[in-house]
Amino acid sequence: MIKIKDLEKIYRTEEVETIALNKLSMEVKDGEFVAVMGPSGCGKSTLLNILGLLDDPDAGSFIFNGIEVAKFNERKRADLRKHNIGFVFQSFNLIDELTVFENVELPLIYTGVKSSERKKRVDEVLDKVQIMHRRNHYPQQLSGGQQQRVAVARAVVNKPKLILADEPTGNLDSHNGNEVMEMLTDLNEQGTTIVMVTHSEHDARYSHRIIRMLDGQTVLENIMV
Amino acid sequence: MFKNYIKTTFRNLWKNKTYSFLNIFGLAIGIACTALIFLWVEDELTYNHYFTNRDNLYIVKDQQTYDGTTFTFDATPGPMAGAIKAEIPGIKNTARSSWSDQLLFSVGDKSIYDYGCYVDSPFFIMFQLKFIKGNAKTAFDQLYSLVVTETMANKFFGTTDVLGKSLKVSNKQDYIITGVVKDLPENVSLRFNWLAPFQILENQNEWMKDWGSNGIITYVEAEPNANIANINKQLYGYIQTKSPETTAKMSIYPMNRWRLWNSFDTNGHEKEGRLKYVNLFSLIAWIILIIACINFMNLSTARSEQRAREVGVRKVLGAVKGKLILQFIGEAIFMTLLAALFSLFIILLALPSFNTLVEKQLALNIFYPSHIGGLLLITLLCGLIAGSYPAFYLSSFNPASVLKSLKLKSDSTGLIRKGLVVSQFAVSIILIISTIIIYQQIQYAKDRDLGYNKQKLVYTGLNSNMKRNFSVIQNDLMQTGVVENTGLSNSTVLQLGSNTGDFEWPGKDPAKQVLITLEGVSPGYIPTMGMQLSSGRNFYSDIRSDSNNIIINESLAKIIGKKDAVGSIITRNNGSEKYTVVGVIKDFIYNSMYSPASPLILYSDTSGVNYLNLRLKQNADIKTALAKVESVISKDNPGYPVEFNFVDDEFNQLFKTETLIGELAGVFAVLAIVISCLGLFGLSAYTAEKRTKEIGIRKVLGASVGNIAGLLSKDFVKLVFISCIIAFPLSWWFMHGWLQDFEYRIQISWWTFLAAGLLSLLIALFTVSFQAIKAALANPVKSMRTE
Ligand SMILES: Nc1ncnc2c1ncn2[C@@H]1O[C@H](COP(=O)(O)OP(=O)(O)O)[C@@H](O)[C@H]1O
Ligand SMILES: [Mg+2]
Repeated sequence: MIKIKDLEKIYRTEEVETIALNKLSMEVKDGEFVAVMGPSGCGKSTLLNILGLLDDPDAGSFIFNGIEVAKFNERKRADLRKHNIGFVFQSFNLIDELTVFENVELPLIYTGVKSSERKKRVDEVLDKVQIMHRRNHYPQQLSGGQQQRVAVARAVVNKPKLILADEPTGNLDSHNGNEVMEMLTDLNEQGTTIVMVTHSEHDARYSHRIIRMLDGQTVLENIMV
Repeated sequence: MFKNYIKTTFRNLWKNKTYSFLNIFGLAIGIACTALIFLWVEDELTYNHYFTNRDNLYIVKDQQTYDGTTFTFDATPGPMAGAIKAEIPGIKNTARSSWSDQLLFSVGDKSIYDYGCYVDSPFFIMFQLKFIKGNAKTAFDQLYSLVVTETMANKFFGTTDVLGKSLKVSNKQDYIITGVVKDLPENVSLRFNWLAPFQILENQNEWMKDWGSNGIITYVEAEPNANIANINKQLYGYIQTKSPETTAKMSIYPMNRWRLWNSFDTNGHEKEGRLKYVNLFSLIAWIILIIACINFMNLSTARSEQRAREVGVRKVLGAVKGKLILQFIGEAIFMTLLAALFSLFIILLALPSFNTLVEKQLALNIFYPSHIGGLLLITLLCGLIAGSYPAFYLSSFNPASVLKSLKLKSDSTGLIRKGLVVSQFAVSIILIISTIIIYQQIQYAKDRDLGYNKQKLVYTGLNSNMKRNFSVIQNDLMQTGVVENTGLSNSTVLQLGSNTGDFEWPGKDPAKQVLITLEGVSPGYIPTMGMQLSSGRNFYSDIRSDSNNIIINESLAKIIGKKDAVGSIITRNNGSEKYTVVGVIKDFIYNSMYSPASPLILYSDTSGVNYLNLRLKQNADIKTALAKVESVISKDNPGYPVEFNFVDDEFNQLFKTETLIGELAGVFAVLAIVISCLGLFGLSAYTAEKRTKEIGIRKVLGASVGNIAGLLSKDFVKLVFISCIIAFPLSWWFMHGWLQDFEYRIQISWWTFLAAGLLSLLIALFTVSFQAIKAALANPVKSMRTE
């Protein structure tokens, strides 16, 4: 599903130049569950952003589903993204002004799903993440664990092939964290490919494979058994 | 402590350069606009203040009622001035004056027309004219004496040392200069470059000794403590004691009201004249200033979250609420002071165009106490208005919750902010609609069918020489090949001068008088003007054969009431004068461009004509045609410079007030919308900034640039929409009222509102879409990092 080679990403500010990704290569197969680990600032989020087509690399090749996308323009990336990729963030990134239902509904609106169909599908996923009873609440009225469940629901409502999760349990206690990890595992078992950034060895153990990064490069890969 | 505040103020200004600029620029435009309007208002309010004696000066008004309608004139009979001074206590001085008129003055080979009046010599003392040469007492000792202004003295002699020099008037009579007076300023009601003894005029015109002929102006100076009501009581029936059959009721009207009131309804009651506009524009100036202040309020409360921490810390460190309020108001005043400095430049830049617009010579003088004081007052007021609401809002933050960076409840300020934006746009839309309607009305009146053809129609003044040789001149004019027709008339067609109420005809109710305009013309007049006869015939070219015949207009024909008025007999002076109607012409519009034509009698008589009307050929080039005409007239009538007046130009001049109002309304509308958009721009930038995270999330979830831009613009568009809903009925109400002043007026049409609404919607959309698109194009990865 994902095949990257010699990927580079350099951030230039007025004074400094940060090499966030340095000729990084890796591969993720269909249906895999991969964890990315490494110290803060080593480029994990950068990698995830590029995988998620939110950002473009400065050099290297990125083949997504057999298509070279490294040189895609913004519009093409957005199009590919909204149909194929779901995101889960450490800080949930729910929109405060919208209700739980409306937050989960957003990706469907942007992919042009009809309103009746939207309602059905949103209710379906809200049910699955057991947040149905809170569908008309606002994010601030929910606990952290509940908010992240909403975020996961939002990530999967469009039935993406790939879910990218950036420290999804970082803001959660261990109980809520485990719940989210169970949900991701379930999704993976139903066929969704998952790439997850985490600091927690515990969470990493849910994955099939751990990619360890340092200074923008992969340094080690552990295969879980 | 104070230094500390100044420092934070400056840092805040600098840190938020865009907001500061928007604020200061908006305020500067507001202050400049207000200052300019107030300069204009000052000029209007101090009109005639040049005359230090103005509290005691009056003009005699003459009111005549016909069929329930009262007309108010300045015209009075000649003997009145002397009689009322002698007979009515409280009247200290009177002076007669002719209407300001152009006469030809010549010295050497210099011949120039110049404006002036014939006046009685008390005029000098009453109006306290400042003599630089000669004196008020002796200036009119001789009959053919002349007092000129500095300007006129310089124009003819290059010096003011002109006592004893003579000027030939109308190529006939030498007048000796016996005095030179200082020029009067622009903002006074009197306009003259020369003054000559009224006696000259009186000697030449018998009717000026008649109590029944109202043809001259009478000025009155009252005793300082005179009982004006008492004087007016005696004046009311005064003319009737001298000449019982007349209808004119006299009264005196104070100089202090000449400029701003001087308007009378059909019941003869005084009503606001220009004052209406002075008040309206002062009001609008304040509104523009408030619109600018609203920007300040909105932008500062919108950014309050940023300042909340500062407030929290200051409070924890012991600042009390009062101090903080002072600090924020101080900041606002500081901002407005900067804006005021900025506005000085705008004023200086805009003043020349503004002066052209209002046709005045206004000047801003910083050292003039009323100007610097006014400017400071505006600035201070502006700072207070702009600063008070943000000050109270910001200073009320609870330090505990602010420091814990709890979410601030911004719902109420958000609502107030929206309300303020709505009011800004409502005002802008009202002004836009008003401007459109005013222009529609002007255009409508200008396009009105006048009943004659004003294109390629010119006239020039006649003198006795020309009158005598007219048949020769007319022949030569026709020979030029550029003139289609010529006609003579007493008055110019736009302003027919004389009227009377003493005509009778069979079937007329003798108790009711009908005011009829009288105009003496040559037989060529009707064809030259392009007027249409609806029945009967034009005057024969032999004037004598029509000496007892008249042509009337349709309005009068309708009043006479016969099916065909041709052949009707109209009498005057108890039947001693009998006239036969030989023709009826279609109504043409004269005197008031908004009213239907009033009753009119044309008679065939060239003894009193003053004007030569020329119809140029349709295909003639105006310039060359006039050059030909001029050479003909100069040849047949040497020694007189020829000046042409175009009827269509003069016609346009009649709409000066309305055009000025339209132009000012337009300027106001543009300013209001510009200032409102400055604020909207700032607010949309703020909203986009506040919603960066949300925009990022939405983009990650697949929102397109269009989705995001629409999302951000939608709310503002909604506000403008609400503004429209408020502005439409209000502007309809205003303009409906305004239009009532015009008898000939447009119907307000719905598309005016639609156009104004769409226009402001587009402008607002353009303003906010700039920020919205910028935000939508931003990389979501970056915006999500900012949390
Ligand atoms: N937008 C940016 N501008 C400049 N530098 C950035 C930007 N994003 C990330 N970086 C830098 O790139 C490096 C990698 O960042 P990131 O991928 O966020 O690390 P991680 O997620 O592994 O903590 C860091 O040194 C970070 O400071
Ligand atoms: Mg990271």
